[in-house]
Amino acid sequence: MVSDSGQIYTIEGVAAAILMIVTAYLVVSSTTIITQQDVHIIDMQLEQLGNDALAMMDTPDSFGNNSTLASAIQVNDTTVFQDTFLDYVNAYTVTGPETMRYNATISYRSSTEDIQTFIFNASPYYRENAVKVSRWVYLPYFNNTYYPEQSDMRSGNQTVLLEVLLWRQ
Amino acid sequence: MAPMNEQGQWIVMLGFIISIILVFLALIVNQSALVGKTTAEGVLEFPKAQIQDIREEIMEYYWNGAIDDVNLMSDTRNISMEKKGAIINYTYDPISPFGDFISIHYHDGTTDYYETIEIEK
Repeated sequence: MVSDSGQIYTIEGVAAAILMIVTAYLVVSSTTIITQQDVHIIDMQLEQLGNDALAMMDTPDSFGNNSTLASAIQVNDTTVFQDTFLDYVNAYTVTGPETMRYNATISYRSSTEDIQTFIFNASPYYRENAVKVSRWVYLPYFNNTYYPEQSDMRSGNQTVLLEVLLWRQ
Repeated sequence: MAPMNEQGQWIVMLGFIISIILVFLALIVNQSALVGKTTAEGVLEFPKAQIQDIREEIMEYYWNGAIDDVNLMSDTRNISMEKKGAIINYTYDPISPFGDFISIHYHDGTTDYYETIEIEK
């Protein structure tokens, strides 16, 4: 009772249906669905970038010397800090726009046992999405004459905390 | 009893299958929001960079001979408590002639980290 006419027609219909379903699946699965909670991924990448840049700057180039970061903070050289940090953080494989900005603050323990904070180098911050990365900096034989505005900084061996707020312009 | 109508079985069955597939895909899209949130948040929450940083700092004190400087210990403890809300404590035991022991404790409220370093002489 089974009729064997129209078999090619049926096979062509089934094959076309399978082809359409597979194509639709490929198209849908190749797009990434960005949800509101995915902003954490962007923050994590920015934080990793900032931490890596500060870790590179805090590593001395040869044994026994001070690192770039410690030298810059010892003598209050904001130009060296800015150039090196932005160089590391804006590194692209091709020349691209320099879109990273930062605010750097230093916290120290003053001679009166208070924790004071001052701005080391900053760009204006207009509430962009920013992350804060930090680095402990060891300053051996620190001389507080380089910081005339911070009169209560101790001289001698000192550790300060450098905090950098980092964002994309 | 009238004979059952056996026409259209293919179409009805395929309709069922496609609706079940759609429900499954909707479930996947719904769960993807939660997965993205928890993995990235887990990475952000664990203080990997802070622990590596304080270890490097304390070893720098040691190799510069300033591991038992009280000023540095006060600096580290107070600034960490005030600015980062984390407890950092380290002790130095020169148990000669075997070696030096440095123990580091870091606690930021969520992650508790203890470490003992033995440096043989």
